[in-house]
Amino acid sequence: MPFSTIATPLAKPVANYKMATRLEGGRLLYISGQVAWDASGNIVGKGDVGAQARQTFENLRGVLQAAGGDLPSLMKITTYITKIEDFPAVAQARGEVFQGELPASTLIVVKSLFHPDFLIEVEGVAAV
Amino acid sequence: MDRREVLSERPVERGRGFMPGVSVIPSRVLFTAGLTGRNPDGTLVAGGMAPQARRTFERLGAILSHAGAKFDAVVKQLTYVTDIEAYNAGGRPERAKFLGGTRTASTGLVVRRLADPAMLIEVELVVDLPGAPSRAPLLEKYNAESHGGDFHQGVIVNGGRLVYLAGQVANAPDGSVAGVGDWRRQAEKVYENIGHLLQAAGATPATVVKETTWVLSIDAWRQHGPAVRRAFYANDFPASTLVEIPGLARPEFLVEIEVIAAVA
Repeated sequence: MPFSTIATPLAKPVANYKMATRLEGGRLLYISGQVAWDASGNIVGKGDVGAQARQTFENLRGVLQAAGGDLPSLMKITTYITKIEDFPAVAQARGEVFQGELPASTLIVVKSLFHPDFLIEVEGVAAV
Repeated sequence: MDRREVLSERPVERGRGFMPGVSVIPSRVLFTAGLTGRNPDGTLVAGGMAPQARRTFERLGAILSHAGAKFDAVVKQLTYVTDIEAYNAGGRPERAKFLGGTRTASTGLVVRRLADPAMLIEVELVVDLPGAPSRAPLLEKYNAESHGGDFHQGVIVNGGRLVYLAGQVANAPDGSVAGVGDWRRQAEKVYENIGHLLQAAGATPATVVKETTWVLSIDAWRQHGPAVRRAFYANDFPASTLVEIPGLARPEFLVEIEVIAAVA
């Protein structure tokens, strides 16, 4: 793995994610904020944040694979949602997609995303 | 350099100036602060979104130029706006004038408020600079223009290893939230957590490159946060962005701060 995981008992995460990662070599990949678009650019799961989250994480995986990596290559993700009430459904979808510990992670509730139908956007930084 | 672009054939991405991902072999990487449509005297340019966006990209261009780069070296762009219709009508065309045919990794967010309530757009960049790293100094922190703020407009990581921290909130190791309803206590706890993680990674507050501060209220943050922040950085500040948003992962959290640091 071209990055290492940083942990300390003095600062623990509030859920199952890494607190910090350090790039040790390889390529640094910046991934655009992914949303619940399918291959034709249609929104998947309009009004259904769980379905949007699954599609969004699948799109994230697709970008990683196109760059020669996969989900374990992720050092850091930032999840943007538009309503805190959506977080449990997002967390469940995220748990289904990621096996084991999540990358370093930030969750932010924004006013909205760039299209009113988007309920979730996820961007990432990876080592590939 | 050695930039690789992850291309997509999706019609939504084609022709809109961005792409799913960009990878580079990091050698000299520039992180900019969030830039806005401020004049040299600190006031906002008049005229709304289009002039603010133009001024924002002009200032980013000056920061790039100072580092010997142009917009074609941009890897990642993060755009914060407070009004998406105004951005689509007036901001996006300005962006296109500066970015030209360059396609970057990109994220766009609509937030509640930026540093000044009249600000409509703020943009920050990650840039893959030309040239080989000299490795000393590790960081080059600079301003392309003078400003009174506690931040640098650009920070170059000159051959170090990048450290990405999860967004830090005021949680204690036992899982409890420190300082419920108390901005100052939460600021202290967040920076305490950041300090522990930087130390574990071999970094220090002085080697923080970029900081993003997400708060539920910029007005409340300004009363309590900056003193804690100044003490943490000992006046040796990173590039930074301050954004007001409606919520964080738990209702008790008032502030979340994420940092990127470097180690030799």
